[in-house]
Parts: sequence; C-alpha cells; structure tokens
Amino acid sequence: MSAGPDSDLALAFRAVRKSYGRIRALQGLDLAVPRGSVFGLVGPNGAGKTTTFSICCGWLRADEGDVDVLGGGPFDAARHRGRVTALPQDSALGRDMTVREQLVYLGRLQGIGAREIRGEVERILELVDLKDRARDRVRTLSHGMLRRVGIGQAFLGDPELVLLDEATNGLDPRQAHGIREFIRAQRGTRTIIVSSHNLHEIETVCDHVALIDRGRVVMAGPISTVTGRDAEVRITLADGPVPLAETRAALTGDTVEWDAPARTLTLRFQEKPGRAAEDVTGEALRALLAAGARISSVARGQSLERRYLEMPAGEPPPLPPGV
Amino acid sequence: MWGAAQFSVPRPFFTNLMFGPTPLRDTALVAGFELREMLRSRKALAILALYLLAAAFTSYIFVSVLENIQAAVRNPAALITGPTGGGRGGQPGRPRGPVFAPSPPDKPSQGILTQRGSPFNRVIFSQVADPDARDFLEKQPPIILFFALVSFNFFPLLIMIASAETVAQEHQSRGVRFVAMRTGRAEFALGKALGQAALMAAVTLLAGLLCLTIAAWKLEDFTWGAGLRSLLVFWPRVAVFGLPFLGIAMLCSMNTGSAMMARAAGLIGLALLFVAHQLVEKYADSAFGPVLGVLDFLAPYSHRDDLWLPSWNDAGPQMLMLAGLGLGYVCVGLLFYRRRDL
Repeated sequence: MSAGPDSDLALAFRAVRKSYGRIRALQGLDLAVPRGSVFGLVGPNGAGKTTTFSICCGWLRADEGDVDVLGGGPFDAARHRGRVTALPQDSALGRDMTVREQLVYLGRLQGIGAREIRGEVERILELVDLKDRARDRVRTLSHGMLRRVGIGQAFLGDPELVLLDEATNGLDPRQAHGIREFIRAQRGTRTIIVSSHNLHEIETVCDHVALIDRGRVVMAGPISTVTGRDAEVRITLADGPVPLAETRAALTGDTVEWDAPARTLTLRFQEKPGRAAEDVTGEALRALLAAGARISSVARGQSLERRYLEMPAGEPPPLPPGV
Repeated sequence: MWGAAQFSVPRPFFTNLMFGPTPLRDTALVAGFELREMLRSRKALAILALYLLAAAFTSYIFVSVLENIQAAVRNPAALITGPTGGGRGGQPGRPRGPVFAPSPPDKPSQGILTQRGSPFNRVIFSQVADPDARDFLEKQPPIILFFALVSFNFFPLLIMIASAETVAQEHQSRGVRFVAMRTGRAEFALGKALGQAALMAAVTLLAGLLCLTIAAWKLEDFTWGAGLRSLLVFWPRVAVFGLPFLGIAMLCSMNTGSAMMARAAGLIGLALLFVAHQLVEKYADSAFGPVLGVLDFLAPYSHRDDLWLPSWNDAGPQMLMLAGLGLGYVCVGLLFYRRRDL
C-alpha cells in the first residue's frame, strides 16, 4: 500500500495506531485514497475520523504504522506546503484580523507570491460568497460564514490533497449545496477527503468511501461497490402475485431473495462484460411482468445510510474480499 | 580586477531568501501578522495600556517628588531653617542641616538629585558599584534612570503576562492548525517571538517617552534633547533585557495547552528565577559557589548590573549574551514543541 511519488494513491495508511493515554483512537487503521478521488470518511463519533485527518495533516504523530502523503512519507510542512490543505473541525481563525488579511496571510505562508495573492484571495472570496465581508474582522462573522472562510482557505492555491472535516456543518441549505457542487466539480483535478455525518452528502459528493469504527476501517471502496449499486437490485411489489420461481428461472446463477413483510425482491449478481446492472434489472422485470406481478418501485443497491446502519456494533468484522 | 560582478550576490538567491518560501520569509510573515493581531486585540491592548498607565502614574509621582525637591533646592533657607527638635541625627533646639546641597549654577537640579547620599541616589546606585558607572549615571536625567530601574524590575512581569500566552492561545483555539500545514513549527514559534519582541520593545519605548513627557510637563529645567539622548541609551538595554524573559515565556507558551497555563507557568518561572538569583548571590561564596555561578549565568538577572555601565563596550557583550539567552530558551522550547501534538 505504499504511495510512491508515481503511485495512484494520494494517501496511504498502513496499520496506523494512535492512543491518547488509555484511549485507543486508531487500532491498526488501513486506508488507501486514490488520487483524484473525492473520498468520504464515515463513522460514528469517536470512530477515529478526526484523528486520521490530524495524522494526515501532521498535527498528530502516529504511535505506530506507516503514513504516506502524496508519495512523500508522513506530512512535512517543507515537503507538503501548499500541496496539502485542510479545513480542521473546531479550529478558530484569528479573531481580530479581517477576512482578507487572514486569507492573504495563509496564502503567502503556503508559498503564493506577493503579486498573485491578491487575485487568488479575490477568487476564493467569490467562491465562498464572502466578497462583501472581506474587510470585516473575523470576530464579526456568523458560524456559517466562519465555516466558509475555513473552506476558502483550504482551496487557496492549487492543492493536490484537500481534507475537509464536516465542511458543510452550519451552512444554510443553499450554501451547502453550492459547496457540495464545488467539491463534486473538483473530481479528477485533485484529491478531496470529506469527513461528514451527513451520509446523503457523502453519497452524492464522493466516489469512494471508507466506513470507520473504533479506529479501524470496516468497509471501503468505490461508493457503487459499498452501496451495492453494481451488484444488487431491489424490486418492491404491490399486492398481487409473487412469481418467485419464474424470476429465479430467468436469473440463473444470481441470488434472488424474497422479503415477505416488505414485499421486496433482492437480486444479487456479479457484473460481467455485456451484463450490467441495467441488463439484470431488465431481465427480472420482464419475468415479473410476464407473470402478472405489479411493480411498486425499483432501486439499485442500498443507501449509504442503510450500509452504515448495518455496521455491527461490536468488534469490527474483517474486510470483505475486494472491498 | 575587482569587478562588480565578483561581489554581486546572485539575485534570485537573495530574492528567494527574502521573498520566496524560506524559513526567513515565513518567520517575518508570522512576526508581522502577530504584531498586527496584537495591536488589534482588545485583551493585549488592555494589558499594554495598563502597563503604560502604571508607567505614567509612577513617573508622575516620581516627577512630583523631583518637583518638590527642586522647589526646596531653589530655597535652601527653607530647609536650613526647617523644623527644629529631636529628629534623627539632630540635636534638640538646633536646626538640622540641609537635606540637599543647592544646585551649582552650571548644573541642572537633576544632577543634584543623583548625588551620592541622597535617598534617590541610594535607590538607584544600590545596584551599581562601579565608579565610572556612577559618574555616567550622574549625567543622566533622573527620570530616565527611574524609567530604567522600574523597567528592569517590572518589564519581565509584563512579558510573562502579555506574551506567555501567544502560542498557547493558538493551541487552545486550534488556530495553529491552519498555520502548521503551511510552515514549520520553528518558523511559527520564532515568528511569534519576534513579533512579541517588537511589540514589547515598542511598549518600553512608549513608556520611556511617556515618562519624558511627564517630566517635560512638570519639571522646569527639563530638556528634551538630554532626555531623548539618555532614552536612546537605556531603551535598547531595557528591550534586550526582556529577551531572555521572552524566551522563557515562549518556552512555556509552546509547551502548555492553554493560555492560562502558559501565563501561570511563565509567572512561576519568573518567580523561581528571581528567588534563585537571590540565593545564588547569598551563597556565592559557599562551597557550591561555582555551580551556582554557572546556574546564575543562565538567569537574566545576573546580567542586569552591567547594563548600567556607560560604555557600549561593557554593556554590549552583556546585551549579546541576553539576546543569546533569549534565543536559547526559545530553542529549548522548540526541542519539545517540534514533537508535540497540536
């Protein structure tokens, strides 16, 4: 899982451990974040998300294990300055400086030249919709505005890896939507790691996700794999016939399960060349309709929230193969 | 041939050193930001204003005393024919001798006030044994000597109260995380120290100017020229004397978790240094003298007396030593700070 300079991984954690006294925050965490992905980090409170962020950003040091940031080993300000930026969770900017002064200061520190910084700060102020508050002191901003300044500073310059801890927390729906769209638009241009409790947000913004619990990764991979979008179709039937045998006959080699109380058929299959999820759905629907079944709804995979809720509360299970 | 090209500094290197992303530039950026932030911070300004207010108040009292003495010196008869009776040193029924000799016509009254044997003289010269230093001090306006004396004693306290929280506050608010991704911890801490040093130097200069202004207002024979010249002699010494204390304040600030803890640690450190210096002076001749001497060498107080010396050749090395001590304390703090979690 080494992320060398030419590796396709932006971030790699291998068996990383971190304790705060007797509290074990990370217990051998393995994580691989592909370059150019928008990667979601999901887990309950105390799962180790913020600790993972902090180790990645060099704020904390791992007790054990290997950390590789952009192929340059553990975070080092000299090596990673301007290449890695972050929105910390509960960090306060200097209260007595103006928004513009803060951004200029942070931008200059990360290596943006004196000539370029003005234009760069204007771009960021426009991005986070704070142009009209640029000359105001930070202490006068609302919580949501502070969050936007925090997001803005994370996108100063041209960072390769951006870590956003609860980025849209405290933003109004319109602003949150704008930020989500912006993050989504970054896909392929830079790597963004998003930590959030808003699972719908993770599902809509990210293309990869890792579910963390008790300092370990429970499940990780592309969103489509984790949610089963490419391997599972659920068809809910209205009152009427349930042609289970006909459906199983039409989908030989696939698994068909019937949940009577929910009146839902769950089809599990392996995607193959020439046989995608759409093809399987079509085959199943044709069989059902031919047998007189009435279709209520069709859904691909399960929501991330559903997957999250299915996470066992006890000891994390071993990673499933390929995930 | 010594062409200009042989001595020219490669411009990109020099430009990069000053304006590129280098430790030097980062330190300057942090220092500048720190200075501006402190100048806008209500709490910092309140502390500094209190210090200036205290300086103004004490110098006002001091100058008022001088003013009364001046008035008395101008009318020595009032002193010679002062109250009679069994005061200390007097004999019943006979008038006491003059408290102060009258001012020579070519010497302003401030010189009289520093003559040996006067109460003021005793206060000031209790720290100085060198005769050259005494002669030097006699020529200085008393208000500046008062400024220096008070500053040498209270400036360290101001530093511990105002500067010890500078890095710790960033840890408490976790604002340090925004900066720690963009520059090294050494640049951050040194920049903070530099910003604080500049601020403290400015505050002592203001305090000195405030003292001079009050003296100019209250004393008839005060001359701005002599006052400013003397201030320019003592202000750098006061400012440099504060550097080791600033170093200790930074050491505490870098390695504590909150502003209050940093300030408490700084004040405890200051008290310990003071007590240690007193003990070292008391037991300098004991068997532990050499060991205590080495320890005392690391304490700023042991270098204070030489700052009263007239020549920069005498005071200069001590100032360098004090600056080195300050940097040394910051470096010791950094040894721990570079490994701590933020």
